[in-house]
Amino acid sequence: MKWEMSRVVKTVTDILVAPIIIFGIYLILHGHLTPGGGFQGGAVIASSTALLIIAYGTLGKHKKDLSSIEAVGLTLFILIAFLGIGSTVFYNYITGTGFPFGGSLPYHGPNPGYINTGGTITFMNLMVGIEVAAALSLILWMMSKRGGVMEPKGSSSKKAEGKD
Amino acid sequence: MEPIIQIIQLLVLIGLIVTALAVVFFKDLISAAIALGASSLLLALQFYLLRAPDVAIAEAAVGAALTTAIFIFAIRSTDRKEGCK
Amino acid sequence: MKKALALVAFFVIFSFLLLGVVQMRPFGEPENEDMDDYFLGDSQKRHEVNNVVTAVLFDYRGLDTLGEATILFAAVSGVLTVLRRFKDKEEGEK
Repeated sequence: MKWEMSRVVKTVTDILVAPIIIFGIYLILHGHLTPGGGFQGGAVIASSTALLIIAYGTLGKHKKDLSSIEAVGLTLFILIAFLGIGSTVFYNYITGTGFPFGGSLPYHGPNPGYINTGGTITFMNLMVGIEVAAALSLILWMMSKRGGVMEPKGSSSKKAEGKD
Repeated sequence: MEPIIQIIQLLVLIGLIVTALAVVFFKDLISAAIALGASSLLLALQFYLLRAPDVAIAEAAVGAALTTAIFIFAIRSTDRKEGCK
Repeated sequence: MKKALALVAFFVIFSFLLLGVVQMRPFGEPENEDMDDYFLGDSQKRHEVNNVVTAVLFDYRGLDTLGEATILFAAVSGVLTVLRRFKDKEEGEK
């Protein structure tokens, strides 16, 4: 089903989508420092997808890509969790090494925090963010594609009525 | 807690009750969905005032944006008024 | 009859909610504080993380988060299964 909103809605969507996605990425990457995290950032990114779907009516042919991204995010999350099985599952094996995000805080206690800390927690935030963003976008898109009874004019509604 | 915060919390709770009653009593389903979104937004504000910013962000993103969008997508496919046919 | 039943159910649920409000502890004073103190002290020591909520979510209670992600995956699988479009119909709509 195809629909489009007016030019005003499209322009505002074009302006707003990039800041919303950047805010979601900020929430995901700063999940170990500030309130937020993988689920919240992924939901914010998915809300930008909702804006795009409402304004333009379509996302193109990316259904396979979205489901692949979701499966890859979940698989990498499980992989990161089970890589620490030498001691326990969900063991933080990156903290204290020289790996990215493996640094340590300068002192313990109230401090502003540094982004080069966190270890596996940062990577898990990233993976959960990817998975949640792809999953919620996919749910939104599948829900939006099945409409068509209310739409008076459009390319697909007549054929759908004829078949039903 | 400061009294101004308590007054804001009281106003937010009254607004929550009003929007929840509006969800029940609206006959137009799209109006009811929008009222549900407003209720979720006020709930997110209440979470923030109770010092749970994580839950507030999740509630604002999922409850106010995604749930309203999914409800409106579902209402488009069916009847807009409650109880017709 | 139906209205009387609804009224009784309403008052029972309302009284339970009112009981919960009356017996609520003051804000910021939970009943057991041992685990809270452990999390607050240990998350910076062991994981070098400032956000304790994230440390609890992804390390101490990581299996719960794994279950949540799996539930989301299952929900997407269900939506894709229920709302799928069959082959001939997809060609007809294009």
